[in-house]
Amino acid sequence: MTEKSCGVLDEEEFYKCCRLLLQQSEQLRDGWSWEAVQGSEGYLKKTALRPVPAPQREEESGSHPQMHSTCNPSPQPPQEEQPVCVASSDPSSSSDELEDEDDNSCWVAENIGLMFQFEYHILYSCSYAVPVLYFRAFTLEGRSLTLGEVWSCVHPNFRICLQSCPLNAISQQEHPLLGQPFFVFHPCRTEDFMKPMLQAAQDQHRTVNYVLSWLSVVGPVVGLDVSLNYSLERLPGAPPCSPRQH
Amino acid sequence: MASDISEASSSTADLKLQFAPFSSALEAGFWHQLTQKKLNDYRLDESPKCIKGYYYNGDPVGLPTRLTLEFSAFDVDGPTPARCCPAVGTLYNTNTLDAFKNTDKKALLEKEAAEIWDAIQSGAALKNPSILCRFILLTFADLKKYHFYYWFCFPALCFPEGIKVVQEPVVLDQVFSAKQIAALREAYDGLCVSRGTTAVPYFLMKYSDDAVHMAPLEDWEAFFTDTKKVTVGVYDPCTLSQHPGWPLRNLLVLLATQWGSKLDVVEVLCFRDRTLQGSRSIQHSLVFRVKLPELPSSSVCPKSVGWEKNPKGALGPRMVNLSECMDPKRLAESSVDLNLKLMRWRLVPSLDLDKVVNTKCLLLGAGTLGCNVARTLMGWGVRRITFVDNAKISYSNPVRQPLYEFEDCLGGGKSKALAAVDRLTKIFPGVNAEGFNMSIPMPGHPVNFSQATLSQAQKDVEQLEKLISEHDVVFLLMDTRESRWLPTVIAASKRKLVVNAALGFDTFVVMRHGLKRPPNSQTVSTESDSSPSCSSASSSSSTPAGSAPRVPGSSLFSNIPGHKLGCYFCNDVVAPGDSTRDRTLDQQCTVSRPGLAMIAGALAVELMVSILQHTEGGYAVASSSDDRMNEPPTSLGLVPHQIRGFLSRFDNVLPASLAFDKCTACSPIVLDHYEREGFSFLSKVFNSSHSFLEDLTGLTLLHQETQAAEIWDMSDDDSI
Repeated sequence: MTEKSCGVLDEEEFYKCCRLLLQQSEQLRDGWSWEAVQGSEGYLKKTALRPVPAPQREEESGSHPQMHSTCNPSPQPPQEEQPVCVASSDPSSSSDELEDEDDNSCWVAENIGLMFQFEYHILYSCSYAVPVLYFRAFTLEGRSLTLGEVWSCVHPNFRICLQSCPLNAISQQEHPLLGQPFFVFHPCRTEDFMKPMLQAAQDQHRTVNYVLSWLSVVGPVVGLDVSLNYSLERLPGAPPCSPRQH
Repeated sequence: MASDISEASSSTADLKLQFAPFSSALEAGFWHQLTQKKLNDYRLDESPKCIKGYYYNGDPVGLPTRLTLEFSAFDVDGPTPARCCPAVGTLYNTNTLDAFKNTDKKALLEKEAAEIWDAIQSGAALKNPSILCRFILLTFADLKKYHFYYWFCFPALCFPEGIKVVQEPVVLDQVFSAKQIAALREAYDGLCVSRGTTAVPYFLMKYSDDAVHMAPLEDWEAFFTDTKKVTVGVYDPCTLSQHPGWPLRNLLVLLATQWGSKLDVVEVLCFRDRTLQGSRSIQHSLVFRVKLPELPSSSVCPKSVGWEKNPKGALGPRMVNLSECMDPKRLAESSVDLNLKLMRWRLVPSLDLDKVVNTKCLLLGAGTLGCNVARTLMGWGVRRITFVDNAKISYSNPVRQPLYEFEDCLGGGKSKALAAVDRLTKIFPGVNAEGFNMSIPMPGHPVNFSQATLSQAQKDVEQLEKLISEHDVVFLLMDTRESRWLPTVIAASKRKLVVNAALGFDTFVVMRHGLKRPPNSQTVSTESDSSPSCSSASSSSSTPAGSAPRVPGSSLFSNIPGHKLGCYFCNDVVAPGDSTRDRTLDQQCTVSRPGLAMIAGALAVELMVSILQHTEGGYAVASSSDDRMNEPPTSLGLVPHQIRGFLSRFDNVLPASLAFDKCTACSPIVLDHYEREGFSFLSKVFNSSHSFLEDLTGLTLLHQETQAAEIWDMSDDDSI
């Protein structure tokens, strides 16, 4: 048995790390939750709503110069929106009869720009024995964004740097538990970049939460920041979660 | 807006309370789940269904007041996300767009409002105040196009005169001390614990300088012993600093109905509770006072509003197009492309995939080679694949030709070109495949039996010329030598890249044809290229036009630029003719080791891809076996002229050879005749024996010279 740590973790340790992360998240109230799926399986989930970055906003709102401030973004080309108008231009439709007298007195417009919803899932990959980040992003209408649109949400300074780095291994896959299309960070290099991190921690006799450390590397690529408080606030009495040792 | 407020505050009497309405927020999973429900459970059932959404009071400033529905919306008894309030709604999913349009929205709203009104009057809303925050969702799911039409309604009962603000909204820390704020937080957390939840939508509140007490709505009578000062709390999803969110509206109607006679002014706490970077704050909650208006009648349901406005700001439905993320065909396309991009991750960062994917490929022959080439092209994400073949699928084909099955052989067999297209489309619907069931006229196979055969041949030639013009790369994958002649001539004339694969029993050749320079630039080098002194191919390499001088010591055949490379026929000293005549069956059919076609087919595509990655494309200098140790010219490696494989030795070599000035297919004289005379020249070739082309190119003369030389050689030997 050597003292060398390897860059993987087994399923049981994965769940342990997740529980620890959830405990801290509960204190930090940053929105991680555990979604159980039939059987013992499940995944960590977090959603976040973010304003659309400026360049994209111009591009998209360009097609809706009259768009009302309270409305959801609708990045589809105008011709795809036509059917919406069909309904309201129909004389039998209810737009007239629903004329809202209430508006002037009781209704206030929120001055809100375009928003994208992000959904992040952390699952365990048995084949690679590492955590895997699945994610998708969508408009407030529920239309999933393409990978290109997701990248456009990453700050331009990061974009150039990240697109040329190994973390740009994003593929599209069916979510193993939900059966819906998600983007996924390919896990084949996770072990490689985790190994030195775990080794350094071990050399300095620090305990690390594998899932948390890993998340702090891959998360920021798609706008998922991990609060520094996770590292500052050591939970009293919480069991340390260390990588598998050989 | 701020100036409006300050002006209004000077005349508080006129200030009416305004609410921020909910914006609907749907997660992608909601539409996936609705699709599943529609297909598996609801089918044609249009009856109302119970669904669930939630709202949150912890958003940072700038986010819209939302009611969110996710994939779990259909599980009404399922858990609500922590610290969120559930909202129960009614889903009306119509079967047609007409039904969606013609649904009486006013009636739906009134029905829902009446239920809320009943619950308010009966007092049921006190026990279960979440009924005050109900919603309606009207949908139509067009599952052919994956278009979803929808319209939300958040019913709110109205006071006809509005609600007068007595004391305008201020943030909590302007009226509460730090101690009171801490006590309020504690009281709220305590209420949550006692209710067994993480969020309470409505609550009652009493406070002094150092204590805050809370109780659920139903405890009103016990909690407020006198009604001089009444404070109600509402879990508020709005982030505006001067306005409450929608959930307060129906609560005020409830208060007016239940205690309006005793109450004049009500204090409202819009409870907002956010945590940023681990630090929790409620001091940005709003506090204000309103005069509780009277309802005109205690028995008639008040007027109601609540249909959501669409992106144009009008009362109207919305539509979302989800074909990109739900149409399996679109999904397959984006997955294939993303998977290819993984290659660029570490292995080949500079790989230009677009060049490959956008290449239009013409496959002449849809047999063993054609099938394997097509599959490898699909693997590279190539979208445009066109087959030309005149054969039908026979019983022996499916085991070696991976695009066909036993069924395809029945009833005389399907046309290969058409069946291959069907199968490609089945494998990957994103492919743009076409098939042409046609013959390619060949030298030595006369077409002049009748006027009909002649005009058919002319049509076939024209079709082939058109196809070659329309594509970027021509693959020669036929089973005879002579059938490759016509496309070689046409492609050389049109300067199209040709990749050629041919099989023996356990040997193969995969090669690119030399790509002639564009017609205008060629005039410069015509002299050296068609130097009449060439009696052998090698001599022309001693006068390379415009190419780098040969490195001393390198072989004669190194560093041949793409435009000087030979074609399939350049190494032959006989013109193509009918190779199937006077042959036994095993000589007529391609009899080869079964793995050979897969190897050669795959190599043909990989050669094409490597050529495309070279900055000079088809003009790239040919790599040879000697270059295996050198710096490769492309990110994918070498760009050879030929790959000759020997399966018996499991060995490949990479020879390169020069274009032959007497070549029966690509020599200037043949191209010149073809370009000037067109079909009349071609028909002469088809109808004549070998000698026509051999005479034309000077091969006949060459034969005579060679024979003469051999005689001299022999006589020399004899003399020894």
